Amino acid sequence: MIRLLAAASVAALFALLRLTTPSAVVLWVGLLGLALAAVAIAARWRWAATAAAVVFLVGYALALQLESRPVELGAALSFGLALVLLLGAVDLAARARGATVHGPVLGTTLARWIALGAGSFLAATLGMELAAALAGTLPARASPLLAAAGALGSVLILAALFRRAG
Amino acid sequence: MTARLTPLALSILAVTAWAVSLGVLAARPEPFLVALPSLLVLATLARRVPIPRCSIVHRISSDRLFEGGTTTVTVTVSARSPVALVELVGPLPPGAHLRSGRHRAVMTLRAGDAVEWRYDLRFPRRGVHDLGTIAVRVRDRLGLRTWEHRHVDPMAVRVYPRIVPLRSLPRPFHTQPSVGDYVSSELGEGIEPGDIRQFAPGDRIKHVNWRASLRLGQLYVTQRQRERNADVVLMLDTLAEVGVPPETTLDQGVRAAASLATAYLARKDRVGLITYGGVMSWVRPGSGATQYERLVDGLLRADVVFTYVAKDLLRVPPRVLSPQALVVAITPLLDRRFAKAVLDLAARGFDLVVLVVSPVEVTRAALAGSPTDDLACRLWALERRSELAELRRRGLPVLEWRPPEPLEAALVGGRRRRVRLASAG
Repeated sequence: MIRLLAAASVAALFALLRLTTPSAVVLWVGLLGLALAAVAIAARWRWAATAAAVVFLVGYALALQLESRPVELGAALSFGLALVLLLGAVDLAARARGATVHGPVLGTTLARWIALGAGSFLAATLGMELAAALAGTLPARASPLLAAAGALGSVLILAALFRRAG
Repeated sequence: MTARLTPLALSILAVTAWAVSLGVLAARPEPFLVALPSLLVLATLARRVPIPRCSIVHRISSDRLFEGGTTTVTVTVSARSPVALVELVGPLPPGAHLRSGRHRAVMTLRAGDAVEWRYDLRFPRRGVHDLGTIAVRVRDRLGLRTWEHRHVDPMAVRVYPRIVPLRSLPRPFHTQPSVGDYVSSELGEGIEPGDIRQFAPGDRIKHVNWRASLRLGQLYVTQRQRERNADVVLMLDTLAEVGVPPETTLDQGVRAAASLATAYLARKDRVGLITYGGVMSWVRPGSGATQYERLVDGLLRADVVFTYVAKDLLRVPPRVLSPQALVVAITPLLDRRFAKAVLDLAARGFDLVVLVVSPVEVTRAALAGSPTDDLACRLWALERRSELAELRRRGLPVLEWRPPEPLEAALVGGRRRRVRLASAG
């Protein structure tokens, strides 16, 4: 049942990729991601799930570059949630390997994922509103620098969090 | 309790880093939106969360078994606070097999919940197995952090060797003063009639032989033979073994030793044990149920410890290896040092019986059964036959036991021809 959840997330990722672009290159990237995800689900290997997630992500970025569509908040958030669900489900499947499962393990995982989805949607909506408000006031030349600084800041914050938690 | 980040946290971090980098490179906002759920998950690391608390109690259905027996391990987990996910790895000692259930469990608990989980373990081989440790790993809500510890509640299961009832035992030459089952040539209190003599003052009326008295016209009394016990020392060869557990030559030897000990103790004999190998240990001869426990304790721990050193039996105290004792040497005769020790004992005048556990049959049972294996086993059997003949030629009573034939058959086949005890009393 846990692996079925992972398989559902992989199907969603592949479908989102195909809906973004019909390009053959992206299709092949998607198939590579699908193969890696199949290995991850069958063997319950976390590294394969991470690799599949990264391949899907690269495919998605490629699809966005090829299509140059307007921003689709729902699709991008669903893609991110499906990635988190894939990683979480494969991790749970690896932990439950050869073990008896007691209690609502799958139910609580799904409930947390739904809560995460709602939180992400709220945060994304607020973020988009804020970005739209700021876009008019910021100079266009500074935006790549701001994006890079934001990304670097996020990575540094994450590194600090990991250091404290680990 | 050890806290650490999980592989899931690192996976999510990797995916987030890729998404953010791709967003910068592609100059598109969507990869940042893709990274948002992952960032929200990772942001929970900033919160200091209390460690989920759960208590564990475990018990086993039986702490004493015979080989092949089963015990049930029951683990009860009670949550004092909500536990998102707890992983438990119950004890599964080497050599034990899962008969039913699983020794690993994953569970989600609400505060106050108690879950009971059980599994059955089968122990095909003798030994003392530790069942007291459970590894516990508790995860936080999103699976980014774990806390690990070991729940230790010392408990062990003792697996005794299988015992077969024996009727034909090697009889000892010498007896001891205590009461036992061997009929002595000395007259005194006993059950077996020995001789008759004329009545003398002090004789008890119940000893009068009325038939002889009426025939001879005088009072005659029946004299009885005393019944004595003997000292038996089981000497187990732990220098080398062949075969696959739980059917190695040492396992078979331990079973034979346990069966002989049980049979001799039932005859009120005093039984001792010497394990002769890399580590030499002994149990003083004694009798009764407590002595059986002591002997089995020694047998449970018997194992092959490799050594180049030949141990000297002179190190064994005379209280353990008394000159009056019957020594039953149990060996596969794989190491010449044991044969030398046995010959040394025989030369010192010990009453000795050598029970040889045939390694050929044990090895043959472990092999695939190709013609080459069969030929090698037959050649080995011929070689061993000549070795045993050499020992017999030197005056050693050698009994060969070829498992899986019954031990009784080996004991009956080589029964020593002694009608009476040579030096009873």
